Amino acid sequence: MTDQKPVVRLDGVRKEYGETVALDGVSLEIRSGEAVAVMGPSGCGKSTLLNMIAGLDRPTGGTIEVHGERVDAMNETKLALFRRHHLGMIFQFFNLLDDLPALDNVALAAQLTGSKAGPARKRALELLDELGIADRRNIYPAALSGGERQRVAVARALMNRPALLLADEPTGALDSKAGEQVMDLLLDLNQIGQTLLIVTHDERLAHRCASRLVEMGDGRIARESALERS
Amino acid sequence: MSAVWRAARAAVRRRRLQTFLIGLVVLLCSATTVVSLALLDASSAPFDRTFAARHGAHAVAAYDPAKVTEAQLTAARTGVAAAAGPFGQIVLEPDDRSVGPLPPHAITVVGRADPGGPVDQLDVWHGRWPSAPGEIVLAFPPEENMDRGPLAEMTSVSANGVTLRVVGFAYGISDSADGWVTPEQVRALHPTGLQMLYRFTGDVSTKEAVNARLSGVTTGLPTGALIGAEPYLTVKEDAAEDLGTYLPLLATFGVLGLVVAVLIVGNVVSGAVVSGFRHIGVLKALGFTPRQVVTVYLLMASVPAVAGAVPGAVIGALGGQALIGEAFRGFGFGDTEISWWVWLAALLGIPLIVLVSALVPARRAHRLSAAEAITAGSAQRRGRGLRVQRALSGTRLPRAVSLGLGLPFARPGRTALTMAALLLGVTTVTFAAGLASTLNRVAEIDVQVSGDIGVRGLPSDFGTPTTRTDAQVEELLRGLPGTARVGVFADTELAAAGSNEPIRVIFGRGEVAELGYRAQLLEGRWMAAPDEVVAPSNLLLERGLKVGDQVAVESGGRRGTLRIVGETVRGPSGPPGLMADWSSLTTFVADPKLAPSDFYYQVQVTPGTSVAGYVAAVRAADSGLDVWDNTGGDEFTVIVAGFSTVLGLLLATVAALGVLNTVALDALERRRDLGMLKSIGMTPAQVVAMMVTSMAALGVVGGLLGLPLGILTHRFVVPMSASGARVRLPLSVLTVWSPAVVIPLVLTGVLIAVLGALLPARAAARMTIAQVLHNE
Ligand SMILES: Nc1ncnc2c1ncn2[C@@H]1O[C@H](COP(=O)(O)OP(=O)(O)OP(=O)(O)O)[C@@H](O)[C@H]1O
Ligand SMILES: [Mg+2]
Repeated sequence: MTDQKPVVRLDGVRKEYGETVALDGVSLEIRSGEAVAVMGPSGCGKSTLLNMIAGLDRPTGGTIEVHGERVDAMNETKLALFRRHHLGMIFQFFNLLDDLPALDNVALAAQLTGSKAGPARKRALELLDELGIADRRNIYPAALSGGERQRVAVARALMNRPALLLADEPTGALDSKAGEQVMDLLLDLNQIGQTLLIVTHDERLAHRCASRLVEMGDGRIARESALERS
Repeated sequence: MSAVWRAARAAVRRRRLQTFLIGLVVLLCSATTVVSLALLDASSAPFDRTFAARHGAHAVAAYDPAKVTEAQLTAARTGVAAAAGPFGQIVLEPDDRSVGPLPPHAITVVGRADPGGPVDQLDVWHGRWPSAPGEIVLAFPPEENMDRGPLAEMTSVSANGVTLRVVGFAYGISDSADGWVTPEQVRALHPTGLQMLYRFTGDVSTKEAVNARLSGVTTGLPTGALIGAEPYLTVKEDAAEDLGTYLPLLATFGVLGLVVAVLIVGNVVSGAVVSGFRHIGVLKALGFTPRQVVTVYLLMASVPAVAGAVPGAVIGALGGQALIGEAFRGFGFGDTEISWWVWLAALLGIPLIVLVSALVPARRAHRLSAAEAITAGSAQRRGRGLRVQRALSGTRLPRAVSLGLGLPFARPGRTALTMAALLLGVTTVTFAAGLASTLNRVAEIDVQVSGDIGVRGLPSDFGTPTTRTDAQVEELLRGLPGTARVGVFADTELAAAGSNEPIRVIFGRGEVAELGYRAQLLEGRWMAAPDEVVAPSNLLLERGLKVGDQVAVESGGRRGTLRIVGETVRGPSGPPGLMADWSSLTTFVADPKLAPSDFYYQVQVTPGTSVAGYVAAVRAADSGLDVWDNTGGDEFTVIVAGFSTVLGLLLATVAALGVLNTVALDALERRRDLGMLKSIGMTPAQVVAMMVTSMAALGVVGGLLGLPLGILTHRFVVPMSASGARVRLPLSVLTVWSPAVVIPLVLTGVLIAVLGALLPARAAARMTIAQVLHNE
C-alpha cells in the first residue's frame, strides 16, 4: 500500500557536535504510507536523525526535504508552522504539560494554530475516544499510567492530521503490556495510511509495526531491509 | 571540602546566566540599599552627624569679663569633656541698615585665632580665616555660586567706627557667632563678653540637662559671671525646621528602595536554589551528604553575592553621598560621610539576606530525598492554579496568551515576590512623578510671585541713591520695552496690640494681584477694602492667626484694625508680612517716611523679553537702582527632582531585573514544556508572547495596586514635607492626577515587566530544544 511520492528525502545529511560526528552523511527516503523503523546502538545518531527531520536542530551539511519543502533552509517561524501542519511527534517521556488535563493537552496542538477552544476540545475528545482513553480526559498527567500518557501524546500528535508521525522510542518508558498497546495503536494508524518513522531499541516493535528497517551505526546507515510484519 | 568546593564551582560555571544575574541584582540592590539607608540616615540625623563631625558645642556661653578672669574660665572644667575659649566677644551694630542678607540687627563678633580647635570646628567654605586686624569672616551656610547673589556683594562691614574687610565665609554647626575676627582685633574693639564653647561628659539630651552640666561648670565662678548660654538643642530645633521639607521625601524613597532591594534579592537567590533542586538530587545520588549539598548551594549563591555586594555598596555610597551632599549643602550640613552602619548594613546585610534566602530552600533540599529533589525541581501543581489553567484554556484568548496568563499560578511564591517588586516600582515611579509635577506647579507659582526682576533703590552706603521718587521709578519701569506687570511694595513694622513683637505690613500697588499673589490664595479671598489684608501661611502659623481674624495695630498713636481675608502661599521677597493695599498706607501709618531703598519693585516681562537685557536697561536708565534677576533656578526643585528621578529609575531597573530573573528561571525550569510546545508548532513569536504575557499580567496587577499606593504616599508625604517648611500647599498643586498622568503610570508596571521579560523570553524562543525532549 505504499505509493511513490517521497514524504521525506535526506541527502548526505551530516551533523557534528564539536568533535562528535552524530550523523555522517545519511541519505534516506520515506514514501507516503510507509512505516520505517530505525534501530542501532545507543549514540549512533537515531534521535539526531529525527531532530533533523523535525527541524528541531539544523544539519551541518546535506539537505532535508519533507513534504517537498527544504526543512534545513527554513527560519524558525516557518519551521514551527511546518511542524504544526505536517508533523506529529511522540517521545519516550511523553512530554505532556503537567498542569493541563489530558483533554486540554491534546486540544493544545489545535489551539496553537488558532482554533477555538470548543472545536479543539471536540476533536481532542474524538481522538481520545478512538485511542480508548476518553474516560480519562479530565485526569492530569501525573495521575495517568505510562501507557495512558503515551496515548494522550499520540492523540496530541495526530491532532492536526500530520503527513508524518515521528516517534522516538515510544515504548521505551513503558512496561511490556502498555508497550504492546502503543504498538498496536501505531500499527492501526499505519494501516489507515499514516506515514511513520519510529526510532526504537525494541525488535518486536520494529517487526510488528514497520514495513522497512533502517539500521544505523556510527552516524551512518549500515543496512536497510524490508520487513514482513509479524 | 574540596569536593564541595568543586561541585559549587561547577554549579556556578554551569549556570553562568544565573550567577551573573545574582551578581548583577545584588550589585544594584546593594547600591540601592546604601542610597536608601544613607537617605534614611541623613533624614534622621543630619544635624547630629555634622554636630559630631565638627565637634559642635553643647553649650555656647558668654561671660562677663568684668566679673571673671580668663584664667578662672580656663580652670573651670567640671564635667567638661572639651572646651574652647575664652574668646573675646562683642556685639556690633552695622552702620548700613539691612543690606543684603546680613541680619538687620546687631551681629555678634568673636575673636578666634583659628577655625579649628577641640570644640566647634568651623568650615571656612569660601576665602580664608582672618589673619590680621581689619579682617572679618562672616557666618553663612555654604552657597553654590559666589559670583552672583547677595553674598558676592558683601565685601565689608562698618560698625563702631571701624571697617572690617570680609575675607571669607564660614559655617559652624553651633551658631556661636555671626562673624569672626582675630583676637587682636576683638581686643581693640573692647570686648563686652568672653565666649566659652563646651562639650560635656554625661547627659546632654535635654535643655535642662545641658543647663545642669553648665551650672556644674559655673559653681566655682563668681556669681553673675555667666551672662547667657545657649544649649545646642535650640540650634538643633531650628535646623530640624529647615530640613523638615526634605526629610519626609528622603525617608519615603529610602524605605521604598530598601524594601524593593530586599524583595528582589530574596526572590533571585531563592529562585536560583529552587531551580537547582534537580541538581541537588543528582548530587545526593552521587553520595553528597545533605550538609554538603546545602553548603554547595550556599557557596553557589554567596560567591556572586559577595562579588556584587562590594562594588554595589561602593557605587551606592558614591552616588548617595553626591545626592545627599547636594541636598544638604545649602543647610550647612556638608559633611555627608556615609555612616559606618550604612556600609556595614550593605556589605553584611545584603549578603546575609542572600544567605537566608538561599538557606530556606536549601534546608528543604536538605530534607528531600534524591528522587524527591529531582521531581521537586519542577513547579508545584496546586488546586487553584490548575483550575485557573483549565479555565484559561477554554477562553477565546490566543493560546499563547492564555498559557502565559497561567504561568504565574504555577509558582505563587515567586509570583508574589516579583509582583511586589513591580508594585513598589510603580509606587515609587508614581510618587516621583507626582512629586515632580507638584514641584513644577509650586515652581510655577513661585516664578509668578517672585516675578522676573527685582528692583530696589540703592542705599546710600552702596552708591548714590536714585533721585527719582517711587512714582517716577514706577513710571521708568513701565516705560521700558518688555514690561508686562509692575508691582510696587513698601513695608513697615507696626506695633501689634497684645504682642510685644511688631508685625510687618507690606503695602502694594500696581498689578499686585496679577503678579500671581491672587492665584496662590489658599483660602479666603483677595483684599477689597482698605482695612483688609492677605497673609502668607508661615506668618499665620508663626502668629497663631487664621483667616477671619483681626489684628489691632498702632502707629504713632494712630490705631486701626486689619482684617485677614485671605491666606497665600507666600508674599513678596523678604521677611513675611501682611499684604495690604497701597491706599491703606496713609490710613494706618502715621508718618510714612520712606527712603528710596525702602521701595521694592517687582517686574514681570512679556514672554520673549530677555531678562538680562531688561536688567541692563534698568541699570543704564538709573544707576541709583539695585536691579537683579529673580528667576534663578529653584534649587530645591532641582535637587528633589534629581533624587526622585534617580531613585525612580533605579527601582524601576531593579524591578525589571527581578522580572528578567523570574522569566529566565521559568524558561529554565520549563524548558521541557517549551521544547514540547515548539515541537507541536509553537512559533518563536508565540513563545515570546507567552513569556511576556505572564509578566505583563503581573505588571498590570502591580500597576493597578502600585498606582493608588503611590498616589496615597504622595498625598500624605508631600503636605508633610511642606508643613516641615511651614508652608501650606494649595490643593491645586496636590491634585496632579489627571488621566494623562495616571494612564501612563498604570502602564509603567506593564512597561517594566515587558522590558524585563523581553530579553529572556527571546532567549527562550531561540533555545535549541532538541535535547530536552529526548532525555529525562
Ligand atoms: N546537543 C548535543 N551536543 C553534543 N553532542 C550531542 C548532542 N546531541 C547528541 N550528541 C551526540 O551525538 C551522538 C548521537 O546522539 P543521539 O542522541 O542521536 O543518539 P541515539 O542514537 O539517539 O542514542 P540513544 O539510543 O541512546 O538514544 C552521541 O554521541 C551524542 O553524544
Ligand atoms: Mg535517542
